[in-house]
Amino acid sequence: MVGAMEIYMLLPKTNCKKCGLPTCMAFAVGLLGREKKIDECTPLIEEKKYEAKLKKLHEVMAPLENASETGLIIHPEKCFGCGNCVVACPVNVAAEPTRCAVGLGPEGDKVILRVQDGVVLANNLKECRRFGPNKVLCNACTATCPSKAIEFV
Amino acid sequence: MSVELKIACFEDIFQYEAGEKSRFSDEYRQLSAVILLDKQDMASLGVKDGDKVLVENEISKIVVAAKTSDDEPHAGLAFMINSVWSNQLLRDDLCNASVPGFKGITAKVGPSQGEVTGLSEIVQRMRA
Amino acid sequence: MTTCTGCSLLCEDIELVLKTGAISEAKNLCRKGQGHFQALFTERTKPMIDGKEVTLDQAIAKAAEILKNARTPLLYGWSNSTLEAQTVGINLSKKIGATIDDTSSFCEGLLMERILNGKIPTCTLDDVRNFADTSVFWGSDPSNSHPRHLSRFSYYPRGEKRQKSYEEERTCMVVDVRKSATAHLCSNYYFRVPPEGDAEFLESILTVLDGKIPKTGDKKRLIELGTILKKTEFGVIFPGQGMIYSLQDKMDLFEELVARLNEITTFKVIPMVGHYNMRGFNQLMLGQTGFINSVSFQDGKATHGPEQSVAVAAKSSDAALVIGSDPLSSLPFGTARALAHIPLIAIDPRRSLTTDAAQVVIPSAISGLEAGGTALRMDGTRISFDPITKSERLSDEQILTRIMEAI
Repeated sequence: MVGAMEIYMLLPKTNCKKCGLPTCMAFAVGLLGREKKIDECTPLIEEKKYEAKLKKLHEVMAPLENASETGLIIHPEKCFGCGNCVVACPVNVAAEPTRCAVGLGPEGDKVILRVQDGVVLANNLKECRRFGPNKVLCNACTATCPSKAIEFV
Repeated sequence: MSVELKIACFEDIFQYEAGEKSRFSDEYRQLSAVILLDKQDMASLGVKDGDKVLVENEISKIVVAAKTSDDEPHAGLAFMINSVWSNQLLRDDLCNASVPGFKGITAKVGPSQGEVTGLSEIVQRMRA
Repeated sequence: MTTCTGCSLLCEDIELVLKTGAISEAKNLCRKGQGHFQALFTERTKPMIDGKEVTLDQAIAKAAEILKNARTPLLYGWSNSTLEAQTVGINLSKKIGATIDDTSSFCEGLLMERILNGKIPTCTLDDVRNFADTSVFWGSDPSNSHPRHLSRFSYYPRGEKRQKSYEEERTCMVVDVRKSATAHLCSNYYFRVPPEGDAEFLESILTVLDGKIPKTGDKKRLIELGTILKKTEFGVIFPGQGMIYSLQDKMDLFEELVARLNEITTFKVIPMVGHYNMRGFNQLMLGQTGFINSVSFQDGKATHGPEQSVAVAAKSSDAALVIGSDPLSSLPFGTARALAHIPLIAIDPRRSLTTDAAQVVIPSAISGLEAGGTALRMDGTRISFDPITKSERLSDEQILTRIMEAI
């Protein structure tokens, strides 16, 4: 996954504050956290000298565009369908104590992760513990994946 | 130019899946007829990722595609997915008088200009 | 609910919706199971004699004729058939004085023998989920071979005595020649052994368990491993082909290690059987003949030994029936070549190298999908299943019964 420094190197680095943030580094962090959009850096869009950097920035940010609000990205082509994430996810476990908690597939639809058609599928992402005012750095799904099919930006 | 390597076989879920769609497809061959080589071994053979290599021992010789192993260094050892290709190199004599079993594979590996050995060629050899 | 027959976990919580010619929706099926069910629709076999399509009746009649006239017939495969079909198969081999063998003779057989004979203690997968605090994958990579193993039983789920599961109460360890996908999940406890180095590794563990310093290997890590094993309350070892091929005639050493561990604490072993009903065949054979595989019924008595294993029998047989297996792909070249030189009868739902080479091909229903029956999971638990779709194809059991009637 791309880092803040890599993004910063593609920005004007003038700290002009046109995006509303005090420094380009703050903007880089904002882009990464999806609180800011590339278009908000008006010099980058409007000035021809930044054309190459703008193009590259879109390229490195592309994977993040597919990420959900919680930053979850699934690569189904890598997924083994093993269900480790389904069984490890604390939200899944709480929602299905007689199913996901003990290794079985879910019955209801309050779970975040389920295996469908051989690969993992995510839903109800707003229930994910990485999201919201009381967010925590839960990494149960990514840490238990044998193939890096599920990751956070 | 060739180097003698031990070859250990393993299971791969994607290769299995391709085989369930068709055991006669290009996809299945592309996923199966592969040997994972240690970086150092590849360098000493002058072989790059995707190059063809001849894998030869007293049982058979087959051409497969070389791939760089992303495992921790393991010079002297290579990996192949359990498939009809790896089985061409496997001995079938008894381990000793009382136990059936198959010893590991040892083979010479070297660069090849040929095409990957096809299934029909392998079947021809079985029928010969 | 459907049962998946893709591997020996026999998952029963599969929800499947089929439409004509494809799977419309599948729930809880891993990628391996999805592939297995896809096989319903691809490269299906038709009744054939000498490469020409015939009627089913003609194919069965020809098969019966070949077996009846053979002096040293071989019946091979079995691990992808139900207990019901295997039972008919064993009866058939008795009837015609055939040699019967399954895939275990070059796979898990050496270990299965000791487990079924009580020499190595075992338990169920449910015991693993409820009680195991240490799971050791030795020469096996469940992430690729039995994808739901870790999530259903051995590492991630909660159990009666393991409510805090993998986060606090379970340790997973891998011993392997390569850093597999499973090894990546527990990289702190991954022990790399060189090829054929398992015997030495076993000896080092035995040394460490005796409180001594091992002569070879990473001494610090081996001592650490010894400590974990000693502190384990309920350990389970899951040996795969990797370990069994490496040890072969040194299986006594593994038996010794398990016995030694059981002097200190509780340790069980479950074999990582590949095909969904290999264990079923082994247990049926054990009950009927006293041997788990490789038996000849020539001269009306059961003879067992390496001569009766497919590797050797293929060379001395004059005809073979292959059911639910593709030995031309999965066996060493020498054995495959021997089989390709004798009249073959292939009973298989799908086209394979073996069906291509067979004199007679009999299309069969896929168990768990088109045909029901019973099978034994890798831990011996009996699992019954019904078909989920209608099919014109006969089940293995029906085909074998018809062949027997025709002989």
